[in-house]
Order: sequence, then C-alpha cells, then structure tokens
Amino acid sequence: MKIVVLIKRVPDTASVFQINDAQDGIDTSRLKFVMGPYDEHAVQEAVNLKVAKDGEIVVVTLGGPDAKDKLLTALAMGADRAVLITGDGVDSLGHRGIAEALAAIVREESADIVFAGKQAVDDDGSQIPERIAEILGWSHASVITRFSLDGATATVDREIEGGQLTLEVPLPAIFTTEKGINKPAYPKLPNIMKAKKKPMDETSLESLRLSATDLCNKVSIGQMSLPRQERLTRILEGDNNTQVAELVRILKEDEKAL
Amino acid sequence: MAEIFVSMRNLNFLLYEVLNTESLCTLPYFSDHDRDIFDMILETGLALASEELYPALASMDKKAPVLESGSVRVSPVVRELLQACGEGGWIGAGASFQHGGQQLPDTLLSAVRLILGAANYSASVYPVLSTGAAQLICSFGSQELIDAYVPNMFAGLWQGTMAMTEPHAGSSLTDLKTRATPTKRGYYLLAGQKIFISCGEHDGVENVVNLMLARIEGAPAGVKGISLFVVPKLRPTTGSGLEPNDVVCTGIYHKLGYRGAPITQLEMGEHSDCRAWLVGEENHGLRYMFQMMNEARVGVGLGATAIATAAYYASLEYTKERHQGRPIMAKEPTAPQVPIIEHADVKRMLLFQRAVVEGSLSLIMYCSKLIDQVHAGPEEGRERHALLLDFLTPIAKTYPSEMGILAVSTGLQCLGGYGYCDEFPLEQYYRDARIHPIHEGTTGIQGMDLLGRKVTMKNGAAFKLFLGKVQQSIENAKKHEALQAECTQLSDALVQLQNVTGELLNLAAAGKTDLFLADATLYLEYVGIITMAWQWLLQATVAEAALANCDDEADKNFYLGKRTTCHYFFRYELPKCSALATRLLQTDGLTVKMDVGLFED
Ligand SMILES: Cc1cc2nc3c(=O)[nH]c(=O)nc-3n(C[C@H](O)[C@H](O)[C@H](O)COP(=O)(O)OP(=O)(O)OC[C@H]3O[C@@H](n4cnc5c(N)ncnc54)[C@H](O)[C@@H]3O)c2cc1C
Repeated sequence: MKIVVLIKRVPDTASVFQINDAQDGIDTSRLKFVMGPYDEHAVQEAVNLKVAKDGEIVVVTLGGPDAKDKLLTALAMGADRAVLITGDGVDSLGHRGIAEALAAIVREESADIVFAGKQAVDDDGSQIPERIAEILGWSHASVITRFSLDGATATVDREIEGGQLTLEVPLPAIFTTEKGINKPAYPKLPNIMKAKKKPMDETSLESLRLSATDLCNKVSIGQMSLPRQERLTRILEGDNNTQVAELVRILKEDEKAL
Repeated sequence: MAEIFVSMRNLNFLLYEVLNTESLCTLPYFSDHDRDIFDMILETGLALASEELYPALASMDKKAPVLESGSVRVSPVVRELLQACGEGGWIGAGASFQHGGQQLPDTLLSAVRLILGAANYSASVYPVLSTGAAQLICSFGSQELIDAYVPNMFAGLWQGTMAMTEPHAGSSLTDLKTRATPTKRGYYLLAGQKIFISCGEHDGVENVVNLMLARIEGAPAGVKGISLFVVPKLRPTTGSGLEPNDVVCTGIYHKLGYRGAPITQLEMGEHSDCRAWLVGEENHGLRYMFQMMNEARVGVGLGATAIATAAYYASLEYTKERHQGRPIMAKEPTAPQVPIIEHADVKRMLLFQRAVVEGSLSLIMYCSKLIDQVHAGPEEGRERHALLLDFLTPIAKTYPSEMGILAVSTGLQCLGGYGYCDEFPLEQYYRDARIHPIHEGTTGIQGMDLLGRKVTMKNGAAFKLFLGKVQQSIENAKKHEALQAECTQLSDALVQLQNVTGELLNLAAAGKTDLFLADATLYLEYVGIITMAWQWLLQATVAEAALANCDDEADKNFYLGKRTTCHYFFRYELPKCSALATRLLQTDGLTVKMDVGLFED
C-alpha cells in the first residue's frame, strides 16, 4: 500500500507576527517555522496505518529549500521517502496551482491513500486536499477524528455540529485529519539519525509538465494589516448631551459604524 | 503563567557561534551526526519540554510525592515522561552504540537538558539520574551487569540512582558505614541505611537500580576502603522474573522546593537478604564515582542555570506588561504610566539576571565541550582538556548555583508583590533553586576542592592552563573597539588573581593549611567572578565579529544585547573581585582563631 502525506511548512502561531514593509504579506524574517500542526496528525496517522498494515509512506511538500527541514521531521516521525516540489514558479502558485502540482505527485506515486492536515494554519484555506480529490476524481473525507481500514474500504468518523458522522470511503481516497485523531509521537533519536539517510527527491513544475504561467495565482493581495489588538476603552466625559454627541461622532467618524 | 522559559536563539548562539559544536562531528566517535540532526534533536527536546514538562511544573510542586506502605506515589507525568524518554532514546543518548546509545555529544545533550530543566526541573531529574547511574555501570561494570540492568534503565522502565549519603556521612563520604559482606555466590550481602537518595523509590517505574557506595568487611579505613555496588530494589531471578531485594523505603523528606522529585531514606538488609553486585574492583568505588563527578557537578550547575533561565524569561515578560510609575524626567503627573521595564533599576535587575544566566550557561556549555573532547577528542589533547575541566568543575557547579539563587530572587523582585504569590512561577523557582549549593558537594566542599586540590594539582598545571586560556581570549578580544576597557580590566584581574593565589600558596608551603583553606569559599567566589568575566568576553568577541557584517535587525539586536550585558558584567560584577582580593590577602585567620565559645549569646 502506498500512502502519501501532504505537509506544509507554516509559521509557528505562537510567533509575533508583523506585516512586511510593502504591506502585502507577513514579515517572515523573524518567524519560527514548524510543520503544520494538523499535518503532524496526518503523518502520525500514516505511520499508525503502516504499523498496522505495512506499506510505504511518501511525504510531499511544495516550497523553497527551507521546507526540507520539515520533510526531514516527517522522515524522523516514520515516513520512508520525501518529495519536494520546488524551483521556478512554485512561489507564484495559487490554491489551484498547488493542488495541480501535488495531484501530479499523487498520480505519479500511484498512491492508495492520501492524508493531509485539515487546514494549514497560515492562510487557513482548507482548499488543497479537496481540490486534489476533485482533480483526481477520488473520494474524500475531511476533518476526520478516527480512521480504520478494512480491505479497500476505510471507515472514518468526522465531527459535525451536534454529532458525529461515520463514513465508509472506497480507496483510493484523500483524508484530512483533525486534532483528536491521534497523538503525534515525538521523533525518536535513532529515527532522527536515520532520517537523513532516507531518500529526499526534488522535482519541479517543469518536470511535472505543469506551466507556472497557467497556474499562477490570479488573486493579488491589496493590503494586509494586523487585527487591532487592544480593546480601546474610552470614557466619555461631560454631561449627558455632550457624551451622546461625542458617542454619535465616534460611531460615525472613527468607527464608521453608522 | 509565563510561556517562555528558554531562548533557543541564545542556545544556538552558544552551540554554533561560540562553541562550533558541529566541529565535534569530525571526530570519529561523533561522525554519524551533523547540524541537521542536532537541530531536529533540539526541536524535539523543546516540544517535549513545552508540551509535557512545563504544563506539569506547578502541579508537581503542589502535589508533592507521598509515601504509602513502602511505595512513593509521584505525579503520573513521571511515568509518561520516563516512557517517552525511554522510547525516544533520550536516556542513553550519550552512551556508545555498543551499549545501546546514540553517541551524541554532551555539548548538545547539555542544551537539551537545559531546555528540559528550565521547563520543569523536578521532572527533568528522573531521566538524568538514570543516565548517570547507567553510565557508571557501562564504564566500570561487568558485561553481565550491563546486560542485566542497562537496557531497562535506558528504556525508562527502571530508575537509576546515586546512593552515597548516610546519616553520619554527608560531606564526609569516607565515614560511611553501609557494610558489604562477600558470599560465594557472586554477590555481597548489604546492610545499612542511606538518606536523601533522589528518586530512590517511586511508582513511575517497575524497579529502582541504586548505584550504592558501601564498605566491604575488612576494607581499609578512609577513602581507600569504599566500593561501588549495584543494589536493585527488585533483583532479577534466574528466570526472567524479579523478586524483592530487601531494600525498603522507610521515609521521604518534605523539602523547601524541587518537590516533584522525592528524596528517600532507604534501609538495606533488614532481613539479611539484600544482595549487592560489585561494580569494577573492590575499594575503587569512590574513584569511580569521582570520575563521574565532573559531569554530575557540571550537571548541577546546569540545573541551577536552567531554573534561573526560566525565572529570567518569566520576569522579563512581566516587566514588559506591568505599567507602573513614570519616567523620572517626566513632568506631567497625568501622563500614562510606563511599563516597568523602562525604569533604569528594573533594567539593572534584568541585566543582572541575564549576566548570571547567560554567563553560567556559556561556562556550562564550555565544560560540556571539554567533556566531549576528553572522551572522544584526539589523544594528544585529552590530558590538557581533562586538567582544564578538573579546574573549572567546582566553579561550574558553584557560580550558577549560588548566583542562580540571587538571579531568581531578582527575578521575583521584578514582579513586586506578585513575585511572592503563587499565581506566578517565581516563588517556586526561588524555592527550587535553593538545592543547588547543597547537593553533589556543598559550596564549602567545592571551595576546598578548588583551592586545596585543583589549584595545586600537578604543580599548578591546571591553574596555569586556565590563566593561559583567559589570556588567549583577551588577545582575541583586543581587536574589537567595544571591548578595549574589558580587556584591560580582565588583564588586571588576572594579575591580581596570581598575586592572591601566590600569597595563599605561601601559607600552604609554610604548613599553615588551616589559614590557607580558611576562606576557600571566598576564593571560589573570587575565581568564579573572573571565570564569568572570561566567558562574557568570549561571547562578546563572537558577537562583535558577527555585528561587523550583520544586516538582520533581530540578529543585530541580539548581538548588541550581548555587548551590553558583557559591559554590565564588567562594570557591576567584576569590581566585586577587589573586595574579595582585599579580604583574601589579609590571611589573619579570624575564623580559624575564633573560639567557638564566643557564639554563646
Ligand atoms: C534534595 C536533595 C537531594 C539529594 N540527592 C542525593 C542523592 O541522590 N544521593 C546522595 O547520595 N545524596 C543526595 N543528597 C545528599 C547531599 O549530597 C548532601 O546533603 C550533601 O552532600 C551535604 O551533606 P549533609 O547534608 O550531610 O551536610 P553536612 O555534610 O553536614 O554539611 C553541613 C554544612 O557543613 C559544611 N561542612 C561539612 N563538612 C565540612 C568541612 N570539612 N569543612 C568545612 N565545612 C564543612 C558544609 O559545607 C555545609 O554547609 C541530596 C540532598 C538533598 C537535600
């Protein structure tokens, strides 16, 4: 059985975020990067499945050379092989382009199962695995909290408002993982040491026969700003009339609420 | 509660920029490793610390261990942690591949221990104790002993301990009374009592393996009659089972701090059936223990640094958020109050902590690298490295321990009234930190070790080596404009140190050993400050070189912080040496001559 896990290198959400000088993105220079927290569950679920049923785990990401250390972490957690899609054009891809590139790898690997985190905590898009399922015409279950496999059918639970849904999904299929599904194990020292000896391949959009120009992001960010952090308490002074007049002015002019 | 308990930026600075830890990977023993592996290990250590240890910091303090019918109940976190450390390979990480370890350098593992200790010192002690005890068996024990005990200790299933102290033998281990009687069955029968044994009994493991000092019947008196034994709580039977070994936990002590780990009183041989297996040769026990002592003592300094590190970051966070008072030069009484970090005196308190914490850590990591070089470095350098390590060990144990308490106290002070209350972790850090000048040889014992043994050993060779190293660092620092005054100051301090040491050695040569050693503790404090100044100069030299071509704002800030803290140390701490030198040169023997009777009323 071939299991592909999709991971993403994302900023640690405990970091202090600042907007870049151009005000169209985050200033990444001071950020600590981690593997997406939901992706850790995806890797762990693949490892658990491998322990139970055997198979090969291929962990895949798309990005610059910096992403390699997160692939290495996944290898230390128990993945067998890693693939990095990198090089010209990867930075300019939008959701569709990223999904096309990852789908190309899933196809190339003839995967039976794909696990991914339910969302990446940087842009919270929740787009990629769903789009891949669509591109490949595969079954798909998102936000799963339990996974089991019997022959070529997976049974999964997903939390829904006020209850729980149990689904039977024929393989091949894509699943995205929610927190409670497992407890990601800390990489063991011997596995950390072995990780570097495991194969890590690099590929490009070109070798996947994809055109960066066709797939580049059509959405551009006009401006990015931080949410206002503090509750701005103001105590209005004066008699009732003055206070009401001031309140109306604030709501109209400062907050533009009226 | 404060979330930040350690700075990875500072650890990386020490590991890679100051100590060039990757260079150890060129040694055959460490050649399977590289920087990527080190980084992943640090990241995993930080995750373990943040997710498992730190959340249990307060609860392990508030729900201290309890003794119930011979068994000590500890926090459930202990079992989980030992399991995680065992499965993850952390307990045997430094041991050789042959012994089931990972051959990782101590320099890196010290960094990991700092992270774990800063997150929760009590919890971090359990695996480290097992590491030390297993290391003793691997270094000096027979293959049978290694096979019988080490795998389960490395797996986190069995707890290792160091069992030395007895009611009548604390600082003076030579007076210990626990007796070992030889039998013809390959083991000894043990009888006696041990006290204060850390983790000597608890329900987080299946078994406890005590590395215990005892005297074999008929052995010579004093140091030369002490042997080292493996004394398990449950002994392996001929099958693969375990049976009780007549070791009973008869009490635990209720402590000021460091409450998450029990210290136990153990009775051996009440039913004349406590079996003990000799490690190495008869009567060499203390020597074996002492070979491990450098590492154990540097480890205590590390524990002290870890607690003070956590206290520093907790107080730093608070001072940025607490608004109180206005700038001294501000005229407007209705102007908003400022964060207290803006007040000069609060900055002083933070600088003091940072100077102690980062200076101590720098020395500890430096010693750890010496440990690696002694262990695995090229043959020709080993003796030199061992000598320098011997000299630095009492300092690396004591400076962080004694000054760590003051640093934590200052951290607590930064929080004002809240520092004294248990909503914030500072009061716990303050209590936890107090152990370090006591265990693994009190400060008094370390002072006598430094002045009485290390300064004089091999005709002063270790002392000369130390002076040479400091001198060399001064030479390297001289090219940096920002460190000129510091170079002069430290050179002067070295001259004075030689002078003071010479005067003291004259007393020794004249047979006035009592006067020579009367103020050994002061001498240790004195050399400790100079050693710290040296470590700060080393760090500042690296920072200056990095500043020369640094574009990144965050890095620049970090290096300038190093420069300022170095300046702080030289201007606020190093001058204290003058007062100490004055006293040390007086040699009037006030404390020697004073009649004990004068303490009546
Ligand atoms: C929390 C904790 C954990 C411990 N863990 C362990 C453990 O795991 N294993 C173990 O074996 N022990 C352990 N100990 C014991 C510890 O190592 C001893 O407490 C320590 O060595 C001091 O011995 P003592 O308590 O008998 O003090 P003492 O030796 O009685 O010393 C009391 C004071 O007298 C001074 N003094 C003693 N002798 C001299 C001298 N000759 N000259 C000048 N001054 C002197 C000392 O410096 C000290 O200030 C632990 C203790 C504690 C509190």
